[in-house]
Amino acid sequence: MPLKFDKKKCTGCKVCQIACSAWHEKVFNPEKARIKIRHEYETTGLKIGASTCIMCGKCEEVCPTGAIKSNGRWMEVDRSLCDGCNICVENCPTNILFLDAMGKAIICDLCGGDPQCVKWCAKGALSLVEKKVKI
Amino acid sequence: MSSFFGKMLYVDLSSGEIKTKELPKAWAEKYTGQKGLGTRILVEDFDIDIDPLGPDNRIVLTTSLMAGTIVSSTSKLAITSKSPQTGMITDGSVGGHIGAELKYAGFDAVLITGRAPELSYLYIDPDKQEIRSVPDLKGTGSFDTESEVKKKVGDKNVKILTIGPAGENHIPFSCISSERYRQLGRGGIGAVMGSKNLKAIAIRGWLDVTVHDFEKCMQLAEEFHEKDGVTADDNEIYQYGTPVLVDLAQESGLLPTKNFSEGRFDDYKNINGESFREVRQNKKACFGCGIACGNWVKDGDAAVEGPEFETIVLGGSSLGIGDRAAIIEFNALCDDYGIDTISTGGTIAYMMEMTEKGYHDFGIRFGEKEKTFQVIHDIATRSGKWAEAAGGTKALSAAYGKKDIAINVKGMELPGYDPRGSYGMGIAYVTAPRGGCHMSAYPIALEAWGDRDPFTFEGKGVLVAKMQNSQFAKFSFGVCDFWPINSETLGKLFEVTFGGNWPKEKVRETGERVFNLQRMFSVMAGFDEKDDKLPERFYKEVLKAGPPAGIKMTAEAFSKAMQEYYAYRGWDEKGRPTIEKLKALKIEDSLIDMYNKRVFI
Repeated sequence: MPLKFDKKKCTGCKVCQIACSAWHEKVFNPEKARIKIRHEYETTGLKIGASTCIMCGKCEEVCPTGAIKSNGRWMEVDRSLCDGCNICVENCPTNILFLDAMGKAIICDLCGGDPQCVKWCAKGALSLVEKKVKI
Repeated sequence: MSSFFGKMLYVDLSSGEIKTKELPKAWAEKYTGQKGLGTRILVEDFDIDIDPLGPDNRIVLTTSLMAGTIVSSTSKLAITSKSPQTGMITDGSVGGHIGAELKYAGFDAVLITGRAPELSYLYIDPDKQEIRSVPDLKGTGSFDTESEVKKKVGDKNVKILTIGPAGENHIPFSCISSERYRQLGRGGIGAVMGSKNLKAIAIRGWLDVTVHDFEKCMQLAEEFHEKDGVTADDNEIYQYGTPVLVDLAQESGLLPTKNFSEGRFDDYKNINGESFREVRQNKKACFGCGIACGNWVKDGDAAVEGPEFETIVLGGSSLGIGDRAAIIEFNALCDDYGIDTISTGGTIAYMMEMTEKGYHDFGIRFGEKEKTFQVIHDIATRSGKWAEAAGGTKALSAAYGKKDIAINVKGMELPGYDPRGSYGMGIAYVTAPRGGCHMSAYPIALEAWGDRDPFTFEGKGVLVAKMQNSQFAKFSFGVCDFWPINSETLGKLFEVTFGGNWPKEKVRETGERVFNLQRMFSVMAGFDEKDDKLPERFYKEVLKAGPPAGIKMTAEAFSKAMQEYYAYRGWDEKGRPTIEKLKALKIEDSLIDMYNKRVFI
């Protein structure tokens, strides 16, 4: 059940990242978000893109301790099994995985099914789609 | 917990000293963030007589104390300094992401003084703050400077303030750019950066921002965004952005045309909200902002994020240019060279009218767009045929006369509203602490596009003073102008972020305190009632079309309204804040003593 990003609707405000960090960490810090937006001018014009978990399953596949598993709707990390080896981070094709201050893998969990990024995006640039997206 | 870090970065570019200083919480409680805090930091032990372009001038960056939180429209960065354009204290704000970025870097403020031995940029992150030489960027435009500094830092997420050639050449209306098209346009702080050999400031942050009451903050933000239409799809600022004002200004007969000689522009439909929407590629918001005012537009080869209403007027109708692509080009050139579109357009309009009417041949007439582009180059580089335009309308009219059509107040060119179509706006122009500017109050919304009579000064002194107090509160608490937020809502949001009790009266009083603090320093710099004047054109000539047609604005009625304004403010008849008033506003005794000795003793 990955997130779908509509770049025509995105204004680059990154409230999705703020809301993500707020919901999960109870602080405001877009660096700690499980979604990343790029929306900036380059010499060739305005470049827009989003990194989100696309449910590709690569992290599950490469995790040596079996800490990451799909529950069919999102990826789950068993923090007791995660040893912070960083292999999932290195292999994530959308560069959206990261390790937190405790050295445990952090991945989008769709806020338990009610993603805050979708809720807070004022312009409808994010939505949930039912079908798995191919890379 | 509070959203206030209490930390200010102090940078002396002359000695290279960089240190983190504690920021007094008492200042935050009295002046809050952005405009108020920036002004307070600037004036501490500050000599108002210093040369604005000398090493002793200061540049103060301040965030909103709600920046980086979920509260919308709080990510602008305020910058305060002594203006090389007016000689008064000036402050402005630049949009984009950089205000929030400074917050995430762990600072509420940055104070920069001195002069770097060679062209440099300042790098700031939570762990490291450094002055780095960039002699290779000499003369580089704002856009390329940003790209180059980003490469040098090696981090695509860094946010950057830059100046173009204009700032390096000390043009008194140089702006400061961020993310290419977001400008701190007015007052010439770009020239102050240039005088300090400071080509750019690069900021990167990754720290947590916390607030006083997290759950309440999330709840109130959601509630108030909804209540005030911040996130609404049908918000006209989202649908069109500020170009939506062109039709309103035309209808009201106050759309400055050909250097304010007329109030209606025949070609307005080519340059209105609908027209710019036709060539819009994308919307663009500042960090965390649900409004998304920005428009990324492209017309042929011309592209810009903009143009804002003021640029459309000063680079369009006031120059007799009704060509959409030409206005986009005008905007992009000013941004890249690093000059304010309003002052640039105002200066060119003066030269055009002087030429047309035969007062002096500047070699440029209304409607000449190619020459206009050349003037932008000559101003920014202070070279070529139009080099002397770099002085702005005040300097040009001192040399060539016709001050009545040099449309500026205290050396700052006027923005896009003819005060003959909105008398309150005239009072706002002359009393705005930074000079001829529309940001201190916007009575036009009640007059020209509301139900107050626009053509009387009756009651307008009091109206403008009240609006200014609210605006100064809004810009000190640090919320963008495009959120129509009231003092009660501001106070409630501040309570859950910064902490404390903030009833609406206290919010407004904060605005009034900041306004008076800035006025104190204007008075100390020698400005008073004698300078609170509009260009004579507005009394001498009547507009001929639309609602203001044939109505004469008189200097006598204006002066009477000004005395009402001063009296309401608790100022004397010369427009000087009284000691009693300043004490009642709880401005610090040390500042009041300095003011008293200078002005009254």
